[in-house]
Amino acid sequence: MTNEKNYARPIPLTAIVLVALAVHGPLLLMQLPARSFDANFHMFFASHYAHHWFNPWNEKWFAGFSQTTYPPLTHQWIALFSTVIGLKMGYMLVQLIAILLLPVGIFRFARIWVNDRAASYAALGSVFLGALSFLAYQAGQLATIASAALYLNALPYFYEWIAESRKLALLKGVLISLTAAAAHHVTLIFGVVFFAVPVLWTACLDARRRLVSGSLGGVLGRTVAFGIAVGVGVGIVLLPYWLALIQHPIQQMPIPHDSRANYLLNSTIAVNYFVIPYGALILALPFILIRGSSSRRLIPLLCGFWLAFIFGLGGTTPLPQWLLGRAYEVLTFERFAFWATLLALPFVGLLAVQLLDRFQTKAAVGLSLAAVGTIGAALWWLNANPYRPGGSADVEPVIVFLNRDGHDSYRYLTLGFGSELAKVSTYTSAGTVDGDYNSARLLPEMTHYGSAQLTNAKFYGSAGMASLRAMLEHANRYGLKFIFVHDPYYEPLLTFVGWRKIETFDNGEITAWSKEDVPPAHQISSDAVPPAWQGLIWGILPIGVSFLAIFLELLLPHQRRAPVEVGVPFHEQDPQEHYVA
Amino acid sequence: MPRLISICALLCLLGVSPAQDVRAPQNLTAGEEGSVSTTGSGNATFYLFGPGVSDKQDVNLGEDVRLPGSDLQNAGQYFAVLCSGDCRSTSFFVSAARPSSLTFLVHPSRVPVAQNDAVSGVAILFDKFRNLELTAESVDFQLNAGKASLLSRAVPEKDGIAWFRAASGKSAGALQVTASLNDLETLRAVQQVASEPCNLRITGQRNASGILVQTEPVHDCTGNPVPDGTIVTFTATEDGKKSTVDAPIKQDIARAQIAASGPAVISAASGVVMGNELRLGGH
Amino acid sequence: MKIVLPVILVVGTAGLMVLALVSGGNARGTVGIAGGSAMFTPKGTTPEVALHNLLVDVQRRHWDRAYDALSKTSKADKEDFIQDWTGSNGSLRSFSALEGFDPRPLHITDDQAEMRVALHWSTPVGPIEDVRDIHLVREGDIWRAVWPKYKIPAVPAEVIPVTYLRWDLVTGTADDQWGSKNVDAPRVRIISMNAVNTAEGAIVMGEVVNEDTIPAFVNVNSTLVDGSGNAIDDETSFDKIDHVLLPKQVTPYRIDFPNIDLNKVKNVRIDVKAALVPASADPVIGVMDQKLDTDAQGKAVLQGELLNESGQTVNISHVIASFYDNSGKVVWVSDGYVDRALLPQSSEPFAVEIPKNVSDKVHNFHVVVNQYSLARS
Repeated sequence: MTNEKNYARPIPLTAIVLVALAVHGPLLLMQLPARSFDANFHMFFASHYAHHWFNPWNEKWFAGFSQTTYPPLTHQWIALFSTVIGLKMGYMLVQLIAILLLPVGIFRFARIWVNDRAASYAALGSVFLGALSFLAYQAGQLATIASAALYLNALPYFYEWIAESRKLALLKGVLISLTAAAAHHVTLIFGVVFFAVPVLWTACLDARRRLVSGSLGGVLGRTVAFGIAVGVGVGIVLLPYWLALIQHPIQQMPIPHDSRANYLLNSTIAVNYFVIPYGALILALPFILIRGSSSRRLIPLLCGFWLAFIFGLGGTTPLPQWLLGRAYEVLTFERFAFWATLLALPFVGLLAVQLLDRFQTKAAVGLSLAAVGTIGAALWWLNANPYRPGGSADVEPVIVFLNRDGHDSYRYLTLGFGSELAKVSTYTSAGTVDGDYNSARLLPEMTHYGSAQLTNAKFYGSAGMASLRAMLEHANRYGLKFIFVHDPYYEPLLTFVGWRKIETFDNGEITAWSKEDVPPAHQISSDAVPPAWQGLIWGILPIGVSFLAIFLELLLPHQRRAPVEVGVPFHEQDPQEHYVA
Repeated sequence: MPRLISICALLCLLGVSPAQDVRAPQNLTAGEEGSVSTTGSGNATFYLFGPGVSDKQDVNLGEDVRLPGSDLQNAGQYFAVLCSGDCRSTSFFVSAARPSSLTFLVHPSRVPVAQNDAVSGVAILFDKFRNLELTAESVDFQLNAGKASLLSRAVPEKDGIAWFRAASGKSAGALQVTASLNDLETLRAVQQVASEPCNLRITGQRNASGILVQTEPVHDCTGNPVPDGTIVTFTATEDGKKSTVDAPIKQDIARAQIAASGPAVISAASGVVMGNELRLGGH
Repeated sequence: MKIVLPVILVVGTAGLMVLALVSGGNARGTVGIAGGSAMFTPKGTTPEVALHNLLVDVQRRHWDRAYDALSKTSKADKEDFIQDWTGSNGSLRSFSALEGFDPRPLHITDDQAEMRVALHWSTPVGPIEDVRDIHLVREGDIWRAVWPKYKIPAVPAEVIPVTYLRWDLVTGTADDQWGSKNVDAPRVRIISMNAVNTAEGAIVMGEVVNEDTIPAFVNVNSTLVDGSGNAIDDETSFDKIDHVLLPKQVTPYRIDFPNIDLNKVKNVRIDVKAALVPASADPVIGVMDQKLDTDAQGKAVLQGELLNESGQTVNISHVIASFYDNSGKVVWVSDGYVDRALLPQSSEPFAVEIPKNVSDKVHNFHVVVNQYSLARS
């Protein structure tokens, strides 16, 4: 078989999934994401579900907060796996599943616009995305990845339903969409604009050109039906979340985040939020623009990509702020770059087809180097970036200290622990006034200042230190007696406000501080405690929907839809060389 | 206890038949064995209720019911109930055994010298079962500062407690406070410390960096040296500017360096006590 | 469409980027992490722009660029310049990050400019504002700052004998007999208390003395009570007190109740908590040449110099001053941190602000110095 013929075939999806397993499996076995920013946060939430499945009120952070403020699916899956393989490996397993679902989703999503061959290259490219590695290994945004992967798997069903009125597609599309929402609602909400609208637009174009069986009116009508089904479903599945949001809308002071900066004014931020996530995709940007404009059918996808791309630039353009208003100050924008790269992949698939057709082996080598270079740079950046998560100290003695001699009858605070705060919280029975989840904060000492976690107070400058001072001023009110310091920066403040160093751990890396006159902690009354019925549906519906989706996928296999041509000079396709997603 | 009494009263009301009776000894001592005599014939059930104790056993009427010492360790009122169809009851009192420990609380742990009614102590007697000793024993209290005896007094206990109040001694140092009863003795120590400084006097001289000012040895009014670490505040006023140094006393003397080149007035204070004023001319 | 759409998207994106730049984009990186460089920096053709560029470079710790932007007539060498901004010897400045700045011209001619800049520092003890006057000269078409020499305190080599005086605390074990080893908490007393209304809220202040012969950890708490006996708010003296008091030492305290009107307060409850703590009597810091004065901005201040009389470096000093009226009543308590380290036997200036309406009443004052030493922490 000649090279030309070799490259003319789509890559089997199974092979792509195996490549994903081969690339990311070892990294996850090495527990690389364990030191990412959010991994401990996810494990903390999962740990609570593992112990209190039907009680989302968690006393360990913010003197009590409700876990209904964050969609629970990924955490509940980790909790389930943790009973067999432990929390950390449970996290890795769920992350791996999400990563394996992504190329499958990309393949199916890309096939709405491109043929199997280009879609398979797009799917393969998704394994090496810088943005994926950035989110998985540096940011630890498990829920974003899982939700995006699920959503990409739902959208082809959405297309089939609206374009061809397949009822099974409706059922599966709605169920997988609900599962995606149960993993991360924000992805679903923004996904409507960035992903679903291009799909709808394309379906309308296809209907007008009679490339599909449905009429334009039918497409629009079925879209409304799908939207209502998903809307009502998400409303019910995440009902406690919506109720919590209505009761306590996010009104805290905006917290600065570097992804909202103007990347042109700060090269480090530009590298972190643009160069690393896009990697070699930057070279493909001209092609995406030109190719996306060349075909009427690709324009919706191009527009979706462009909008996500602009949003992914954070404060480099004013457009996100104009369109999002107040929400701009709440969101972080690295996830938009991730979505932009996902939307770019069908174009990358087309580019790969053209390059391979023209240059065969040379193109294959070049594309491979670009892919490996992209993921390699993202992995190198994990240790090279100045934002890398700290917390190299051993927090085990802190956990032991809190769990002994009745120390857990007081609250504690960590300073300079970064994401290790969540690790301490997971394994101690004591509660803290801090927490690594901004949206659940209700204590005025935190919401009145533009800073996030107290443990990272110094990184938020004066606002962070003002928030920390406010909390320390009210230490007696919250029974806050112990402070663990992993950054001498905080020691002067503690000294001047009356704390004393009482112990050192890990060869002086961590010091424990205490104040004399603090009374034991008491329960802080809150109107945010969810009633029992909310705990019940929170423990049943999200995980239940995901089980339903899995069973439906396994028990009712789907007839694959033939891809619609986009005017690319594709080679003749052998039907036997197509692979079912 | 009220519930116990109610139960017993109820049982007593029920006991109207003179067929059997139960008689207890007037007084028993905690931890010692005792017995309750019964009258009548046949079998009966015997109940014993007391502080922290309840017991039930089958007995033969007309025989003595043995009460083991382990059932009578807690001092207080006990009830014995005998039931054979009807119930009869009686009560008896178990008093504390002989004192075996003397708990002694002394306040304060530190006291300035020459203060009236500054030291107080409370002694509480317990037997070996931690029963409060209510018999009117006399506890001997002794306060010794060095070889000098400040107080020696026998105080009869009242409701299990004996106490004293006394003035502190005149010299700083440990005050040994002893409470004793027969062969029991408990010792506590109170630290007598100097009281407020008295006659705070300062001297000063110019040197290359300004004025070196220091106190004479700082004592209280009874001649005890004021403890090291006590802060003496030196204040120098020079040309409308004020300089202050909070200096701790070390080995009876507090000293400070004050940067002043012109004529200066220097004073010293420790807490609320003021010292003399020193006037030094300029260089 | 093939041409038009890409052009629209490219031009639109570029336009949006320019718009963001023109409207003053946010270049801010995370505080404490060295930021990258900007892809676009305007030339310092005016004193304002030149000073802005210099301060941005200082903010991002681009010392080479910042030093190169100085006038060649500057007296400071590069090391001095860096140390002027970054501090040394574990001082407060060495923990601080320049968070922002507000420059304003004082006097500008064709070749010379005098600029006053308010520097906003983020520090471990809270935000601190520092006002600095900077002289700029025009060299060609570029304005450059003339940087004065930063005087690093010179400490002569010497041996200073110290008789260490410290108190250690031994706690009894759990199985000790009841009452056998109890040590009483230190005796402390509030010797004065005054409550005043200010624009920011109510303030309760006064002084506390340690009457005991051992060191005491003290904290003053206050609760404001309304007419019906309900607590309105409770706060503590926080860092506006010297928490560790040696025997016979007096400290001012101040408790702030933000946004509370004293007229609605019926009762002020105040309690002082004292506990045994280990402590040291060293180092001794003298407060020299205290004087009520007016600073360059016309604010009433108490200023003076702190003199470290010991042989160890005091990294951060905290000055707390109580001000009395004619009758000896405490009418104000203010505090301030000194951003330079106090080297052994050397001194550093300090100033604490007094509100204008209070400064006229002040008849006397008392200053205490709290300190943080890395060596002892």
